[in-house]
Amino acid sequence: MTAPIHTSSFSGYPFTEGCYDELVAATGQPRLPAAAIARFIDKHGRAELLARQQLLNQTISAMGVCFTLYSEGQNIDRGWPLDVMPRTIPLSEWRKTSAGLTQRLQALNLFIDDLYHEQKVLKDGILPADLVLDSRNFLAPCRGVSPPFGVWAHICGTDLVRDETGRFLVLEDNLRVPSGVSYMLENRTVMKRVFPELFADSTIVPVDDYPHQLWKMLASLSPRPGDVPCIVLLTPGIYNSAYFEHSFLAQQMGIELAENTDLTVEDDGVYLRTLHGRQKVDVIYRRVDDIFLDPTVFRSDSVLGVPGLFKAWAKGQVAIANAPGSGVADDKVIYAYVPKIIEYYLGEKPLIDNVPTFLCSDEKDRGYVLANLDQLVVKPANESGGYGILIGPRSTQVERDEMAAAIIANPRNFIAQPTLALSTAPTLCDGELEPRHLDLRPFILQGQDLYCSTGGLSRVALRKGSLVVNSSQGGGSKDTWIINDEV
Amino acid sequence: MLLKSVEHIFWLGRYLERLDDTARLINATSHLLIDSHQDTQFGWPILLEVLGQDSKAILGTAAAAVDGEQGKLSVADTEKAVMAYLINAADSPVSILYTSSALKYNARTIRPLIPRDMWEELNALDLFLQQNCSMAVSRQQRYQLMSEVSRRCQMVVGVLDGTMLRSEAFDLFNIGRHVERADMTTRIMDVMVLQQLQPTQIKRPKFRWTSILNALGGVESYQHYVAHQAADVDAIDYLLTYADFPRSIAYCLNRVGASARGLPHSVSILQQVYQLQSLLQHQALAELSTEQLHSLIDHIQAGIISLHQAILAPCQAPLAAQTQQKSA
Repeated sequence: MTAPIHTSSFSGYPFTEGCYDELVAATGQPRLPAAAIARFIDKHGRAELLARQQLLNQTISAMGVCFTLYSEGQNIDRGWPLDVMPRTIPLSEWRKTSAGLTQRLQALNLFIDDLYHEQKVLKDGILPADLVLDSRNFLAPCRGVSPPFGVWAHICGTDLVRDETGRFLVLEDNLRVPSGVSYMLENRTVMKRVFPELFADSTIVPVDDYPHQLWKMLASLSPRPGDVPCIVLLTPGIYNSAYFEHSFLAQQMGIELAENTDLTVEDDGVYLRTLHGRQKVDVIYRRVDDIFLDPTVFRSDSVLGVPGLFKAWAKGQVAIANAPGSGVADDKVIYAYVPKIIEYYLGEKPLIDNVPTFLCSDEKDRGYVLANLDQLVVKPANESGGYGILIGPRSTQVERDEMAAAIIANPRNFIAQPTLALSTAPTLCDGELEPRHLDLRPFILQGQDLYCSTGGLSRVALRKGSLVVNSSQGGGSKDTWIINDEV
Repeated sequence: MLLKSVEHIFWLGRYLERLDDTARLINATSHLLIDSHQDTQFGWPILLEVLGQDSKAILGTAAAAVDGEQGKLSVADTEKAVMAYLINAADSPVSILYTSSALKYNARTIRPLIPRDMWEELNALDLFLQQNCSMAVSRQQRYQLMSEVSRRCQMVVGVLDGTMLRSEAFDLFNIGRHVERADMTTRIMDVMVLQQLQPTQIKRPKFRWTSILNALGGVESYQHYVAHQAADVDAIDYLLTYADFPRSIAYCLNRVGASARGLPHSVSILQQVYQLQSLLQHQALAELSTEQLHSLIDHIQAGIISLHQAILAPCQAPLAAQTQQKSA
């Protein structure tokens, strides 16, 4: 489906062979949702696009949109990289995608709740029990705890990619402390300042109700329904790489931004230290990893935790989002079973498929993986941020040998996937529009109700040919425009 | 509001005011010194003294760094060294750049309390300073630069005034600004006025020298003040007691008192404010001996320190304060 008006905006666009381009059809014409941006380029030319990128960069500095890198001494904040070219998706497609995402989160929550109670899914042999029980993300102290609505993972950041046919696939589920939503919101604020005419002319669906939806979801978890809940965001502090997001979300929701030293536990109640003395806390939106939450239960050397917090949660005195232990479903080995998990709990076919995945714990799969390391992407089961990944076609023999040894030593810890022809989108690189690979991280909420963000955070690998989109490793971002094609 | 935030929002106000005051001080004094004004008995090092720094040590280090002439700085080099220390020296705890980092740090910590517009102004201020204050500049550029620093500080205050919730955070920010301002006015008086007056038992002379009022942006309003007072007054009366002048000690105390009323620990803050106010009210300043004037300024400085401590008292002993609240 391409735009009816013939444009020259993408003429000579150097497609990446074998990849689906988000904005440009194989004919070189813009796809329908990209018509407005294509017309803009036709009308004003490349030079104007460059000028807007400059304005955009200035806007980002002025707004102080940044992310924090470790080990750079005093100068810890980096300007957030945002490409001037948006990524466009038609609303009709997005409706189906978001239905698939909420379906997935519902099933994952039923799964987690089952694991910490009856473990029917293991008894029924849907997946091998040792996969779950040996996972370091299965937290035994959580067994028997019943959080409100049976929901454990309240906020999920699911990474989607498109294959060569343009079909969305789930690459991974982030159920621990997914980050990036503040950049989705700030990208939009920046783009509205930079392209006011495009927002006036086209039908871009707004994204800005997310903070309110997040607040509503958190409030629904309060152990004192009916009363105004006291909700706090628990951050590891100002030197954390996601501190910008923590402070941004706390401000957008009008809740307190607390560090562990601002909280105390007494008689299984959690209290905030305020200027007016103690205040009882009902809901904690924690951005601290499970194992650091409570030194009396998990890592005793944690300096980020609050002693007694776990017990207060287990007794239902305070809600914690995401609940401790929800990371058990955020494991690249469990991921391979999610389509079966959806069918088992919901009796439905998954609306969005997984990327085909080989489990190194399975003897047959392992044999295939070891024989085809140069073709596959191998990932450790429990890392995030793009660390520890082997991209077969771009690896050296030494790297492959090291990976083979690591797999043989600990097969449970690795999965492998075919090297995907990730979709591309035109990205401004040294003054030219060039295809760059990208993914999409929507944010899905579940409390009393379900909600899926409008689009999500599009992350783009800025280096030519690169598939690594993480901002800590040279990735950038794009504003994601869900274009209303139903009017 | 979090107990921890009390300290950060208070310091945010103090540092913002300090940035503004430092920029004003640099400009006013520069004008004074390059004019070779007849009243001038100072050199550049006086600026370091006002900010509580050991000028001999700092200039000694600077002299050692200058090639050739060991131990002696020319006037031009002294000016350079003092300005570097006040604007961008990495090891200076009073430089504009240092103050800006401290401002940014505090703002970052309490970001959720700060309206977006103000956050953007603070950010723009910091970017501007990082870009423009990191290198030495000529006198003429310096004047423009310091005026711009002051102007941008005022923009932050203006944006905040127009957008921030009237909350305890707002009150503490304003308390911080006015404590800092009172502190700076006292420092200027201490160094630039008192150093001219040896402590004696005799009645102090009238202080006719008004040039330092430049540093406080108060020359015109001083003329207005003098023209409308029945009593025989001078710049000392004006800076200490004239509550209509927004940089006088009396004004700053009124503002601190008014902003403190809604705070849970207002009683101990107001106590300090009253003590300072009565120091000013119970003395006919014109009748003081120079020694008494010295002692009065000492008392005011000590009072400002106690005031600062009273404001931050709840944060200093968080556990004790919590226990007290619990039993109440």
